[in-house]
Amino acid sequence: MESPKISKISRRSFLQITAGVAALTGMSLPTTVQAGSDTLSTLIDLSLCDGCVDRETPACISSCRGINKHKIPKVVDSIPEPWPRKTIEDWSKKQGVTNRLTPYNFIYVHKAEIETAGRQQTIFIPRRCMHCDNPACATICPFSANHKNENGAVVINPKQCFGGAKCKDVCPWEIPQRQSGVGIYLHVLPGFMGNGVMYKCDLCNNRLAEGKLPGCVEACPRKAMIIGPKKAIEAEAQTRARQMKGYIYGKKENGGTSTLYVSPVSFELINKTMTKKPGQPDMKPDVKRRMVGTDPLGKTVLSAPVLGLAAAGALGWFSRRKKQVKTEEKDND
Amino acid sequence: MTEKILSEKNLVVRHSLLELIEHWAIAISGLLLLFTGIFELPVAKRYYIITVPGLGWSADFITSLYIHYAAALVFTAVGIFHLAYHGFRGEKGMIPQTGDLAASVKVMKSLFGFGQEPPMHKYLPEQRWAYVGMAFIILMLIISGLIKTYKNIYAPDMSLAIVLTATWIHNIFFVLFFLAFLAHMAAIALRPNWPMVRGIFTGKVRLDYARHRHALWIADIKKRKTSNH
Repeated sequence: MESPKISKISRRSFLQITAGVAALTGMSLPTTVQAGSDTLSTLIDLSLCDGCVDRETPACISSCRGINKHKIPKVVDSIPEPWPRKTIEDWSKKQGVTNRLTPYNFIYVHKAEIETAGRQQTIFIPRRCMHCDNPACATICPFSANHKNENGAVVINPKQCFGGAKCKDVCPWEIPQRQSGVGIYLHVLPGFMGNGVMYKCDLCNNRLAEGKLPGCVEACPRKAMIIGPKKAIEAEAQTRARQMKGYIYGKKENGGTSTLYVSPVSFELINKTMTKKPGQPDMKPDVKRRMVGTDPLGKTVLSAPVLGLAAAGALGWFSRRKKQVKTEEKDND
Repeated sequence: MTEKILSEKNLVVRHSLLELIEHWAIAISGLLLLFTGIFELPVAKRYYIITVPGLGWSADFITSLYIHYAAALVFTAVGIFHLAYHGFRGEKGMIPQTGDLAASVKVMKSLFGFGQEPPMHKYLPEQRWAYVGMAFIILMLIISGLIKTYKNIYAPDMSLAIVLTATWIHNIFFVLFFLAFLAHMAAIALRPNWPMVRGIFTGKVRLDYARHRHALWIADIKKRKTSNH
């Protein structure tokens, strides 16, 4: 698996992008911003994104597709029929779809027509994996084929993934998408176990390792996306939100993510323009991380060895004491 | 020592209440872990398990995780308790002894009508081997499970090498645990072992059975009784 220990964006690339942002917004990032080993975060400024209306396909989508076009190997001619539920998801003949997430399309742009204070506004929202701080999709993958890297990128290893789609089920936005007829399951028990490989944005983790920017960030003509150390990006998101009297999405959703949207329009209103459909997630504010409820019980499990030892010690002492008293009583008799 | 001959009732006390509690706590939590572990795989929807009355929740991985954690709490605490408590007391009845392998072969042959069973202690020689095997499987499941739990709560970006190692140890030993459970059930299904089944429910087995099959154990109990007087 290609998992760089610490992904570093080259300082030059990072500064290029921040300089662009500064030029556009008339601001500069805090002086503490540096490329380095910190967890990375991306900021998507919806006040800047214009959906690339002048292009056939938004630049972020084109760039992402170009980078990932060889990611999925050739799908087998006859995809094994899973048993007993016969669900097959084959996008290989619909690779050109760009208006939703598919195994061949890791980012799409939602267009929201919103009326606020009597004013009609069009907001474009690029949607992709949020790269959550504690992603259930990765932590409870039964084969650890999905993993959160130190740099914050949540990456699926297509060589280990069986395509069971558990990651999609536990993701509040149902981001990962399945392609049947590829992957390791074909070599194990294709009819009974697994059903392909799950695909999603990996934050261009390989490019990050080479010191490059993610394709979508690099390609955005309006520099609506920036990437940098998490703390700096969070501070930048706060600043921008304050300046535009706007809103942030992704800071607390699903327990926190490494993707922060900043918008002049509230996400309640944006979410109202979205109908959750396969491959088209909604944007419900404050969506909870469901695993958070299991954390207290999990912490108790971590203390279980100590509980066991303490109980053994206490009971051992008690039974020794009992034996001692009995012996003393016997001696006294 | 709990072991006691109750001649008037034709019984002998084989297990203390504490041992019964340990066994059933491990057994019940282990079964819960086994099932919820299976439900952590994406099988419930695919295999229509969700349509089984009462198992509608089985495709919800988070619900399964709650139960898995609750069972893991009991399984881990009791497993460690067992190891520490009986270890500190120096109880070695279930640890394989010299000659157990050869004796196991004799017992197995006798189960299928070849030759006589050798006189046995409280535990059969193959029972001691099975115990050590099961204890090792449980220990590996506990260690790998604790690493996975820590990762879930505190360190989702834990080193991939550690995560993969823990995951695969957990998965492989989960299969071994299931096989060991089946072997345990198969041992119970063998007719000569039936009298021992009541022992794990009530703590007592029939004295005539014990005299016949566990002659060394009964001799041991008698010897201890004499030396105590």
